[in-house]
Amino acid sequence: MTVATAIVRPFTQAVGKLSAVHRLAPWLLVYLLLLPLPYVLSGLFNDYYVYLANRICIFILLTVGLNIVKGFCGQVTIGHVGLYAIGAVSSALVSLHLGAPFWVSFPIGVLVAGVAGIIVGLPSVRLEGAYLALATLGLGESVRIMIAVTPLFGSSTGLIGIPTPEIGGFVFDSFERYYYLLITATMIGIYLSFSILRSATGRAFMAIREDTIAASVHGINVPQYKLLAFVISALYAGAAGALFAHMPPGYIHHNNFTIIEMVTLLLMVVLGGIGHIWGGVIGAIIVTIIYDQTLEFYFYQPLLFGLSMVILVMFMPRGIGGVIDRYFVTRRFIGAREGKTDGAP
Amino acid sequence: MALLETTKLSKSFGGLRAVSDLDIAIEPGTIHGLIGPNGSGKSTFFNLVTGVYQSDPGSRIVFDGTEITNMPSHEVGALGIARTFQLLRLFSDMTVLQNLMVGYHTHVSYSILTAIFDRGAVQRYDARTTEEMMDLLEFIGLADYAEMPASELSGGQRRLLALGRAMAMRPKLLMLDEPAAGLSPVNVEHFLAIVMKLKEKFGLTILIVEHILKVVMETCDTVTVLDYGEKIGEGTPNEVKDDHAVIEAYLGQEMDDDEVRAILRT
Ligand SMILES: Nc1ncnc2c1ncn2[C@@H]1O[C@H](COP(=O)(O)OP(=O)(O)OP(=O)(O)O)[C@@H](O)[C@H]1O
Ligand SMILES: [Mg+2]
Repeated sequence: MTVATAIVRPFTQAVGKLSAVHRLAPWLLVYLLLLPLPYVLSGLFNDYYVYLANRICIFILLTVGLNIVKGFCGQVTIGHVGLYAIGAVSSALVSLHLGAPFWVSFPIGVLVAGVAGIIVGLPSVRLEGAYLALATLGLGESVRIMIAVTPLFGSSTGLIGIPTPEIGGFVFDSFERYYYLLITATMIGIYLSFSILRSATGRAFMAIREDTIAASVHGINVPQYKLLAFVISALYAGAAGALFAHMPPGYIHHNNFTIIEMVTLLLMVVLGGIGHIWGGVIGAIIVTIIYDQTLEFYFYQPLLFGLSMVILVMFMPRGIGGVIDRYFVTRRFIGAREGKTDGAP
Repeated sequence: MALLETTKLSKSFGGLRAVSDLDIAIEPGTIHGLIGPNGSGKSTFFNLVTGVYQSDPGSRIVFDGTEITNMPSHEVGALGIARTFQLLRLFSDMTVLQNLMVGYHTHVSYSILTAIFDRGAVQRYDARTTEEMMDLLEFIGLADYAEMPASELSGGQRRLLALGRAMAMRPKLLMLDEPAAGLSPVNVEHFLAIVMKLKEKFGLTILIVEHILKVVMETCDTVTVLDYGEKIGEGTPNEVKDDHAVIEAYLGQEMDDDEVRAILRT
């Protein structure tokens, strides 16, 4: 080792650590700000809004996952809710029948959903667009039907009394307490999706979405990356499902995993802006609130959501994220253009 | 030894033989032109070499000592063949820089696990790659547009981006399918000058499909002429332009050869 590296190494390592702090600081700040939310909500309104915040967290996790496969990789899937169900049921079963604690059943639920994600993703190697949508719809629905007809999976009564998580004597047995778990998982989930998508992997996903042939000619193993996108999104769905299953009162039913849930999810992604992480998060928040506020018209909800989707696709195809991007991109350009005007033909 | 060599390369679409028993050898360090009338099989040849189409049985393609017949596209790319598309196929919704970063994909050395668990390392790595890509963008004159979505570029800039994205692969063989189509004569000159500089700088071998014969005559070392998927002529530009079969294929039999030669020279 030369003198230079002996001196420089610790320095660059320190810089590396510093930049990690720098990178994580805003996330930690937001996390800390969001932690007391249940007390604000129950103080200002009532407990129902805490429950709503919990639902929002679960839907954010689902949307972030769906956005990876649909928004970034461009694979139309209607099987996401099926993976959510698989995560929920497997984690519930492991803890109900094997008596495993949440910290064991949760990763198992996530992994089982991940494996199922390979199966849901396999058709994407051959099929595209509407055909792929149909294939994944079939897989997702068959999961729900399987749950509905199998006593072990809850059939018509659903699974009851799924234990709530506990850590060092602290039991997450109320909506307020469960919220800590959910907001932690959600923040980690969003952060990780940024890590994945702002890397060569994320760029490969986008390239596949833009042009499959060009992507493969530029060295991207298209089938492998498509499957990877499906698996990652399935891991998110599995995590959301497991978290949902153990949420007080610890009850899941096949009605939680219908095609209507799937339409709602798609609407979140489309409203948020396909392929835009924050847009998807905002979409999840808005749609969950609208969904809950219009519950009394539940009969018309599918119609309302379906129509909104059509209108969005037609008039605002890039959703909220598109609006955000447009704002920033335009600003950057005006700057760049004013700097230099010469260039290529 | 030739860098790229095909033997009895064939491709049929139903009854149509788009490429027929084609033997082509591209020598390292040369610019090899591929010309022929519309529908003569030039793009099909590109698609066969880069694994976009599967060739018919009996075909053989060897690149740099490795047999690549019917190899998947991404593996061909990783071996060092880059190409552009006649219709460009840019990643329109991605920025100019991101288009190049995708081109660089095969050289990225970190895995998705690094991306998940060591974001800092990925950021540092990508920052270095970005530097390299910016150098390349500067070289082709698109540096000012790095952050612009590809869809917002002008026609000429798109053609340059397609070239840049291919070059980001650090290829040994660069295959250009009508890269200057639709450009004004001045811009064709500009474009070709950049291609020549890139060739010089990176020691490339180039295969180029071009309709403007003047360009082919001036830049190519060797020219192969296709008609109905078959090779009907090959040689130096000078040899080819005096070849009666070539002239016939190109312009029909109505004109006499001298007239055609006059056109080819312009
Ligand atoms: N995917 C395909 N399916 C069916 N026929 C095809 C396909 N691709 C090419 N062909 C046919 O193969 C023949 C050769 O086409 P190709 O695109 O290779 O010609 P080309 O020499 O590139 O022509 P151009 O100068 O117009 O680009 C044409 O008759 C074309 O219609
Ligand atoms: Mg062509």
